[in-house]
Order: sequence, then structure tokens, then C-alpha cells
Amino acid sequence: MAVIETKNVSYTYPGATKPSISDVTIKVEKGEFVLITGPSGCGKTTLCRCFNGLIPHFYQGELKGEVIVAGMDVTQHQTHEMAKHVGLVFQNPENQLFALSVEKDVAFGLENLGYPREEMRKRVDWALNLTGIYDLRERSPHEVSGGQQQRVAIAAVLAMQPEIIVLDEPTSFLDPLSAEKIFDVIYELNQKIGITVVLVEHRLDLTAKYANHIIIMDEGKVCFDGSPREILSAEETRLIGVGIPKATFLYKLLKKEGINLSNVTPLSSEELSKLLRGVLEAK
Amino acid sequence: MSVFDGLKFRKVHSPIHNLDPRMKFIYVIALFVVAILFGQIIPLLALFVLQLPFVLLARVQRQWLRSLRGAAFLAAFIFVINIVTRFFYSGYVLTGADWEYSAAMSLRFVVLVESFSVFFLTTSPDHLGLALEQTRVPYEFSFAFTTAVRFVPVLAEEAQTIMDAQKARGLEMEKGNFMKKIRNYIPVLIPLIVSAIRRSLELAEAMESRAWGATKKRTNLYALKLHRGDFALLALTVGILAVSIYVYLFIPVPTLVELL
Repeated sequence: MAVIETKNVSYTYPGATKPSISDVTIKVEKGEFVLITGPSGCGKTTLCRCFNGLIPHFYQGELKGEVIVAGMDVTQHQTHEMAKHVGLVFQNPENQLFALSVEKDVAFGLENLGYPREEMRKRVDWALNLTGIYDLRERSPHEVSGGQQQRVAIAAVLAMQPEIIVLDEPTSFLDPLSAEKIFDVIYELNQKIGITVVLVEHRLDLTAKYANHIIIMDEGKVCFDGSPREILSAEETRLIGVGIPKATFLYKLLKKEGINLSNVTPLSSEELSKLLRGVLEAK
Repeated sequence: MSVFDGLKFRKVHSPIHNLDPRMKFIYVIALFVVAILFGQIIPLLALFVLQLPFVLLARVQRQWLRSLRGAAFLAAFIFVINIVTRFFYSGYVLTGADWEYSAAMSLRFVVLVESFSVFFLTTSPDHLGLALEQTRVPYEFSFAFTTAVRFVPVLAEEAQTIMDAQKARGLEMEKGNFMKKIRNYIPVLIPLIVSAIRRSLELAEAMESRAWGATKKRTNLYALKLHRGDFALLALTVGILAVSIYVYLFIPVPTLVELL
């Protein structure tokens, strides 16, 4: 069952002359880990904003086509209705936390939805534990590190128990190590509670191994849509300027030289090293 | 980063911090009223001493002393003004009563400042926002309040970054006369305002995404409940008020000069 389905979606921001995304048709299945990538300004963020109705309700502008998320047409439902089903995590952790303590921030969405206190307490603790920030619950969001802030933002979204979590470059303000921790958290959520993940990310090196569906966009259009191994081994992908994982790149270089390590394209250094070791030990 | 020290809202637990902010506020207002009622030094001294157990229980002596020091200058100013006017008023002589009266006036000021500072030193902004919310102030207002408090250190840091960046581009902030110095701040203010506006847009987006405005009946993770301590404080407040009003109406308060 598709949880996100867009049909020929085009959107123009108010005051803009040309559409930011045009003719986007994608389908995301329940429980998938989807990676959306592409060069800057290709419309990834715009697409994310369509998923929970920020477009067209918050941004206005002109939306054509159909966006169905969790069975609801986003043009017919306000953003706060969509919030129960789709959680959005933004790029800058600082600008999405507004309370004076971490747990209050995590509770923010539930408070808005009018949940009773006991239920709220349960869900907040659950979300804090799941993201590993239970010990920080009484601290101020301003005092904790960027990586921890981003985890608070994820917990805040999780507390509403959405079916889909959309993360728009959640690690671009973070160092590689914190970024990796964030990806681990997201992957765990995907595995443990089966939440559908849509991750917008440049660093394929770190994320390609988690994904089971990749969408590559360029100039507002979807140019590739399919399984990671297939797409990342295609030559055209690199030409758009997508930073394909170095392990995959090396595998392709070797293949060009006539050394075929295996028929399955490796996506991470671990996979590649396993292949290499296998070949070397056989000799 | 001493500027930001005062803005850390780590939760502190003490008998005073845990009191209901509403009760504390009523208590402070009562102290205010009493301090205004009496112009004699003895009741004012009593009021001043009354605050000490609060300060000690809350373990905020150091901050409290700092705010005392801050008030000292103005208190001295009030004392001097009073002495001078008394001096001219009573025909160029100063009696003991004049000294006492002036001291009482500056002590009154100190008491007013102290009672407020005890309130703010022992009440976290979070608690205060919650109190606002539960006294039926529209949520938009208390949200604006807590968000403002939350973003003060963020904006302060940003202002510092912008200043450093502009200095690196050759802006000399300390140069020129007074007017020039003010004008030097324009290249800092404009980027600061622009980025604050952009930040507010992002915030609005995040709020929308977290179901802002979904229901009219918003709930809250925390609830303010009145505990034993709060009732004790209320009783204390009522007691102080009753005693003061009784004394004010029926017992003439002696001055120190008369006693000696």
C-alpha cells in the first residue's frame, strides 16, 4: 500500500516565474526507507513541504496535480491535521525547538492536539527513550549540542506517532560523527517500529546502505526512481552531480578495468571491504 | 559568556523554587503593599529580614547579594535626595528623625527591589509561562513570552557572530563620536533583523508541522498544583497583611529616635 503518492505534481512559489517542481510522480510504500537526493535547488525541500500540506496551505502559490499522503489529499486537509500522520524534521535544529525544556518541546505537538496528560507523559517518555535523550529531558534545548537538538526534533515528531517521518537534510548542520548517530537513530526507528522514512540527504556515503528506495531529482524533476544498487551503479547518476558512495565508485572503476568483484553493487565501505577480502583471500 | 549566565534555565529544586509561581506573586504583591503602607524604619526592617529565610532556603544568596549591590547605587541616590530636601525644608538643620526618614525611604526601595528579585531568582521562565497559561492568559501570549526567553541567548550569540564578521570586513565599531558610534551599529542591526525574520518564518513552519492550532482546548504536559507549601505561603501572606493593616490602623509605629 502506498503511503505517499504524487501524481503529476507541479508547484510554483508565489512570485516565482518558473515552477520549483514540475510533473513529479512518485510512490512511497509503507515501511520503506526512501532517500531523496539531487543537487542543491533541485526541489527536494519543496517536495517535502508538499507531504504535510505546508504547500499549499502555508506557502500558498500554485499547486497542480495530486498529493495523497496517508490516504488524505493534502489540499483538502490543513497542516495540523496532516501532522498526526506525517512528521517533518527540518534542516536547522535550532529553529524548530521553541520550549524551555527538552521534554516540553517533545510534548508541544501533543499539547496542541489536546492529549490528556497521562497519555502525553507516556508518549513523551517513549519518544525520549527511543531517540536516546531521556537524560536530557530537563535541559534547555539551547544548552544541548546540535546533534542532540536534532534528536529532540525527531523525538518531538515521533511523539505524535506519525506513520511517516520526513527529514529534510537533518544533518547538514552537524559534524559527520553526530550525523552518523542521527542516521542510526532513524534507521532503528524504521526497523523497530516500521515507520516510513523519507530522508533528503546529500551524503550518500553515509546513507545509501540504509535505503531501499532512492529518488534522484534534478531541476525540479524526478530523473531516477528505483532501488539503490541499480541507480547508483548507473553512469548517468554521477553526471548530474550526485555524490555516489565512494565504495560504489571504486567498485565501478574496478569493473571498468575488467575486475568484477561481484554482481551486486556495494553501497558501503563495509560491503566493499568484504568483497575485496573475499577476492584477495581466494587468491 | 557571563552575559548568558543569567539565562540558563536549568531546573533547580528547592522548597522555594517548587512553590507555585502564582502564590509567590501574590506574596510579592502583599510585601509591596505593606512596604508602601509604612514609612517607618522598623516595619521596613522587619520586611527586609523576612525575606532572608526565603533567600537562604532557595540558596540564591549569591545572586541575591549581586542584585542588592545593583540596587545600592539607586538606594544611595534616594537617601541623598531625601536628606537634601529635608535639609532645605526644615530650615538648614538636620535632626535624627530626618536621617531616619531618609534611611527608611531607601530601605523601602531596597525592599521593593528585593521582593521582586527573590521572585524572579526562584521562578524559572518555564514556570512563569505555565502560570500565565493557567491563569487563562491566552496561550499565544504565554507562548510568545517563553519563546522570547528561549531565543534571547540565540540572538545574542548571533549578534556576536555578525559583529565579528563585520569587524573582519573592516568595520570599526568603537570609532568616532557618540552619533557615529550609534551609526556603526547599523551594519550589525540590519543582518540581525533580517536573520531574525527568516528565523521566525522557519519557526512558524515548524510550529505548523507540529499541529499548532489543531484544537481550541490545548492541554499541557505540566500542571500547577497547590501543595502544602503553597498553602503555608498563602497563610503567611494573609497573616502579614492582616498584622500590617491592624498595626497601621490601631497602633502608632514608633520611630527609632523616639525609642532611644
